[in-house]
Amino acid sequence: MKKIASKICRWIGLPGAVIIIPSVALTVTWLIGCADNKQSGEVAAGTTGKSGAELWADNCVRCHNIRSPSNYSPAQWEVIMMHMRVRANLTPEEHKKILEFLKAGT
Amino acid sequence: MMGTIPIIVNQTIAGAFVALIWLFIPCMAIAQDAASSPPSADYVSRAEYDKLKAEHEAMKEEVAALRKAVQLMANGTVPAIPAEGPTRTTAPSEGKQVVSTTSSQAATDELRQEVETLKTRVKETFPGTTKFLVAGYGTAGFTARSGEDPFFTAAFNPIFLWKLSERLFFEAEIELQLEGVNTTVALEMAQASYLLNDYMTIGVGKFLNPTDYFVERQHMNWVNKFPDKPLAVYDGLMPETEVGAQLRGVIPIGPTKLEYAAFVANATDLNTTPDDTLGTLSFDNFNNRGGHVMVGGHVGFIPIPELEVGYGIQRSKVGPRDDAVQAILQSVELNYVKDSTFLKGLINARAQWVWSHVGHLIYDMDETGVPGSFTFNNNRNGGYAQLSYRPTHIDNDVIKNFEPVVRYDRFNQLHTPVGFDEERWSFGLDYWLTPSTVIKAAYELDEKNGSGRDQNAFMLQVAVGF
Repeated sequence: MKKIASKICRWIGLPGAVIIIPSVALTVTWLIGCADNKQSGEVAAGTTGKSGAELWADNCVRCHNIRSPSNYSPAQWEVIMMHMRVRANLTPEEHKKILEFLKAGT
Repeated sequence: MMGTIPIIVNQTIAGAFVALIWLFIPCMAIAQDAASSPPSADYVSRAEYDKLKAEHEAMKEEVAALRKAVQLMANGTVPAIPAEGPTRTTAPSEGKQVVSTTSSQAATDELRQEVETLKTRVKETFPGTTKFLVAGYGTAGFTARSGEDPFFTAAFNPIFLWKLSERLFFEAEIELQLEGVNTTVALEMAQASYLLNDYMTIGVGKFLNPTDYFVERQHMNWVNKFPDKPLAVYDGLMPETEVGAQLRGVIPIGPTKLEYAAFVANATDLNTTPDDTLGTLSFDNFNNRGGHVMVGGHVGFIPIPELEVGYGIQRSKVGPRDDAVQAILQSVELNYVKDSTFLKGLINARAQWVWSHVGHLIYDMDETGVPGSFTFNNNRNGGYAQLSYRPTHIDNDVIKNFEPVVRYDRFNQLHTPVGFDEERWSFGLDYWLTPSTVIKAAYELDEKNGSGRDQNAFMLQVAVGF
């Protein structure tokens, strides 16, 4: 394990290793935890409990001005939100709630 | 003779009578069967006919009601569905058959589901709105830079979005831009994405570089708050796009989020021409000259909705196949966006710094093919910090749309063949006509140490996102 970590450090440099190794460890831990939760039927992590309007304000404004729900039709919002789900790394919950909010407001 | 004729006639009549009786017997039997026994496969009774007619009439009424409901929904009105289903009654003239159905809650739910399905199907038939959308942005600008002729410019970037299914998505961007006497056309992006699961998406094609936050999230002219892009971060030390495959997604951790992306792509190329570009990286290496592979990734963490921090790294061999060296590009970024009631507006603070390291290579300055003797420490870095404020909570429709912005840029490459470091302070004022339409004005104070010449600039730009 130490050998692998040392090899990674040499390959990407120390600053990269400091970020990437803990991130990978965290990810693997989370994925295992997720699998355990699904097996026991528990709710997946990341349930924020926020409304679609709150998530819309939180996520969209991080990059650009928020657009009014009335700017597009419900069908157009579906396409745009799929684009944004990939580009802005939205969680399924955020995607669903924001889309519902936007469609309700058109 | 006369006596025999009546006998013959009588025999004939009798014969005919008997024949008729024989003919009638099966017909009577059939008629009796029809009246009293179950029908054959070929005939229906009057009672069955009446029943079928009544059911037919009821179905016609139901279909008419459904059509009306679908029409109302297509017009944007949600029809009220009664708590109990309709009572279907037919009153045939005979008064013998009455079909009456009282739907249960289950039937109501089923009908509601059916109407929802129909509604979706009707909407899916609308052309150009369901699966396909043209978005993008257009730009018009003016630049007056010291030591250069001032010029107007225009660009158009349509972005085509296709949602092919709930998991499959395709997007492409084309940039049409004036350059010299020509209009250049460039494929900025063309990527197919497939959602493997809720937290993982695979993308293939030409995609925006996930390592470079500004490129992926901020470079669009209706999003970027200045008419130009920051030094080093855009069209500087990192590629804008990659051609290959990426795996990306997000991991929610309670109220926080961890974003990740990893990719393999064509490697960048190393400029070996003996001029000031010597040792710089050429990113548009679409035919993958050198035959190397770039690998990279990015992680971003959002501890609170207002804050995002991230780190990206990409690495490949560059240069001639037999004499290749390592190139490592790294980036860190911080973004803080806060809608503050105390400050009565939106605060937007962003910063990003990138490092480029290219391994030690001895360059052939005479281009004779014989190994040369020139070499240098090929490390460069640069980045920007930007702060803007828009008084969105002020009750004045004009003032609330103004957004002053300031940016500091730096690009360090003095000890390379470029021969200078560059520093810029930019001051801008934006006016937002709509959330995606902005008029920008900016003045740039430019300072180069080393061999470079300072070039202050005044810029105007109108950007429209659609």
